[in-house]
Amino acid sequence: MMRFLIKRVLQGVFVIFVLETLTFFLVRALPGNPFLGERKLPDHVLEQLNSLYGLDAAAWEQYVRYWKAILLHGDFGPSLVREGVQVSEIIAQAFPVSLLLGSVAMLLAVVVGIPVGMFAAYHRNRLPDTLLMLGAVAGICIPSFVLAPLLGISLGMHVPGLSVAGWDNPLCIVLPSIALGAVNAAYVARLTRSGMLETLSSDFVRTARAKGASPSRILWHHALRSGLLPAVAYLGPAFAALITGSFVVETCFQVPGMGLHFVNATTDRDYFLIQGLVLCYGVLIVLANLSVDILLAWLNPRIRSAE
Amino acid sequence: MAMNRLSICCLYALLSVLLGGGCGEGDRRSSAAKAAREGILLLGNNAEPQSLDPHKSTAVADGKIISSLLEGLVRPDARESGLVHPGMAESWEKNADATEWRFHLREAFWSDGQPVTSRDFAYAYQRLLHPAFGGRYVEMLYPLRGARAYNHGEIQWEEVQGVSTPDEHTLLLRFENPTPHLLQMLLHYTWFPLPAHHVEALGGMLDRRSLWTSPENWVGNGAYLLQERRMNDYISVVPNPHYWRASEVRNRGIRFLPIVNGYTETRMFFGGKLHITNNVPPEMLEMALSRSLREFCRDPYYCTIFYRLNTTRKPLNDVRVRRALSLAIDREALVARVVHGAGMTAYGFTPPTREYDAYDHSVAEMTQSERESEARRLLANAGFPGGNGFPTLELMTTSRDVQRVTAECIQSMWSRVLGVQVEIRACEWTAYKAAQQNGEYDISSSSWSGDYADPATFVGLWRTGAGNNCTGWGSAVCDAALDAADASPTTAGRMLKLAEAEREMLEACPIIPLYWSERTYMKSSLVVEGWYPLLLDQHPLDAVELRQNLPAEP
Repeated sequence: MMRFLIKRVLQGVFVIFVLETLTFFLVRALPGNPFLGERKLPDHVLEQLNSLYGLDAAAWEQYVRYWKAILLHGDFGPSLVREGVQVSEIIAQAFPVSLLLGSVAMLLAVVVGIPVGMFAAYHRNRLPDTLLMLGAVAGICIPSFVLAPLLGISLGMHVPGLSVAGWDNPLCIVLPSIALGAVNAAYVARLTRSGMLETLSSDFVRTARAKGASPSRILWHHALRSGLLPAVAYLGPAFAALITGSFVVETCFQVPGMGLHFVNATTDRDYFLIQGLVLCYGVLIVLANLSVDILLAWLNPRIRSAE
Repeated sequence: MAMNRLSICCLYALLSVLLGGGCGEGDRRSSAAKAAREGILLLGNNAEPQSLDPHKSTAVADGKIISSLLEGLVRPDARESGLVHPGMAESWEKNADATEWRFHLREAFWSDGQPVTSRDFAYAYQRLLHPAFGGRYVEMLYPLRGARAYNHGEIQWEEVQGVSTPDEHTLLLRFENPTPHLLQMLLHYTWFPLPAHHVEALGGMLDRRSLWTSPENWVGNGAYLLQERRMNDYISVVPNPHYWRASEVRNRGIRFLPIVNGYTETRMFFGGKLHITNNVPPEMLEMALSRSLREFCRDPYYCTIFYRLNTTRKPLNDVRVRRALSLAIDREALVARVVHGAGMTAYGFTPPTREYDAYDHSVAEMTQSERESEARRLLANAGFPGGNGFPTLELMTTSRDVQRVTAECIQSMWSRVLGVQVEIRACEWTAYKAAQQNGEYDISSSSWSGDYADPATFVGLWRTGAGNNCTGWGSAVCDAALDAADASPTTAGRMLKLAEAEREMLEACPIIPLYWSERTYMKSSLVVEGWYPLLLDQHPLDAVELRQNLPAEP
């Protein structure tokens, strides 16, 4: 197990390094620069700014300097568009917001998705199954840019306590987490249903049934563990995506999370901020996948023994 | 597997507490009502500011915050655009041709108790102009004598004659040309002072990464102090006890909310989250009007929506083609259908004011069918009768909805009237700016708003080779008229020459003016007092009062 973990960690570090390197050169290949404003900058001012931020050096030199600053000083650099603010400060402000929102959305997805999937599998091909899966397909198909404003208008403006948008009281989290969690709940429900169906038709469940185990014991005790495998494999990367924010939901509900920064930094060519955010996202994805691997090994003895 | 069931039960309990628990107990008053009782103004402010350092910022949203934190020599009137009141300067005098202005500063203090002196102004101007600083808005100070040369590193600061400080309370500004409109320019934040002692203490004049504008370090001389900044969430300011008019500040603070999305912002207003919004998108105008006529505001704005034509490319290098494209557009229909009436059809570039009017009256007075037949005639003369042989041009827009819809509307007008086909290319914002500034486009959807209330901020664009011209067009006649306007010591003389330059430009048609936009936004008229329509949207926020004794909420 230990060797497996070390191997995965090293792989993760390599992935992050490749990701960051690609990002570094790709964002610099995009047309435009971080200092483009609505008004054209005089050429000499652009030169001054480039030299102040070290953007006039050769790309490889900037690249070396970038890693040096991170590894030796823990300095992710300044935001080039929001001058006077550090990238680390932006992430430190936005990440807790996205983490909270993403976690609640994830909780919602698990707490709704798994039971629904189990219930549907248990009643397979009967009316409850059809209805629930219809709902799940709708959840997957309705994009968040439709769902989010609909929630805002239908609930946010009329239900007392709920907030139409903004981030100024604890209940502000309700609607964005529903908007964010719905699609994941739908996926989890479908994956749980198919995982459970496969398990319920397997030999060991038939044996359990033949031994006279009650339906609920079969469902909870025998089938659940292996029935959850597909959903769990999906949850890891989904969780990383959720806690790094969603541009659409954050824009619709005016949530000060990471998603807004991600998109804005890219359209504004805020080089250091993009790199900082990609690094953050990369680390989270790697961590999430690692935890899923561990969780899967715990759920599935076959994976453990293979290692 | 009892554990499983137990943990699921726990999760449900947690979720129900999280989602439903607060509903019964929470304060049911809306954020806006609560804030109004506390005397805090909630103001939608479009976008997260670039910077609160007046020398690093160029955005309109930043200007609103900076103007509440710092004060220049003069300050704007709350009711009348263009009217100024003494600010840091108690009084001033100018010489006969308005090339030399002497300002007498009042006894005022920075928020750390240090006195505001003329040196703080000189320091600020030197910093923005410093050849190693990279000031983005540096051209605003170029009228000062020697400023341009200093900024290009040709002379030393000591040789710059434009700024001098005979004593602590006197600031002497000398200009290359007569500057009768100086007081309007001074309202712009590039002319504000900086706390020299404080900036020096936190990294110095040239430190681009200095953190002196962060809330914990902030020192200013304006009506407010920076209290908190949460990126993409809000910036809050509280009254500055050291402000010289501290007793006249009519509210207890402002929260600027950077809400880019107009739909979200308008929803938030109706959901009781804002007192004043920044923008109601055209698609929501009808809804906003029907819901609350009294709270809907439609103010004139010093802003022009127009298309740039790349005059270096064929066939747009032919003035007949350019005029034909311009005449074929039915602006009435455009304003009515696309922006739902929130604009004025434009046949000139600078929005007309009492003192200035240079638009093309002859075209404005034609009927649309007369314009269309004239357009067809011009296009035929240029060698494209009925659009035959006319190449397909590319119309570049940003990804904003209103720009795309405008482009589609005009695309069909050109096709119907002239038989000319264009393709629309919606670009992401930075790519759009880069393409426009490098002249890599045929037709570019553009807008321009004035920095200060003077037509020179519009007409000056069309000088040959000017940074924001971007059309490749230039004319010696236009340049000469602009020079003559610069040299004119009287306002009337300047206006005359500027109008001459603008007419020359309109004649050559390197742009297609579409409409003069209006600002549409929501304002809680029951709560907000002291906010009036202003052409430049430069509201002195200290004059805004929030009525406390509101009728009970339903």
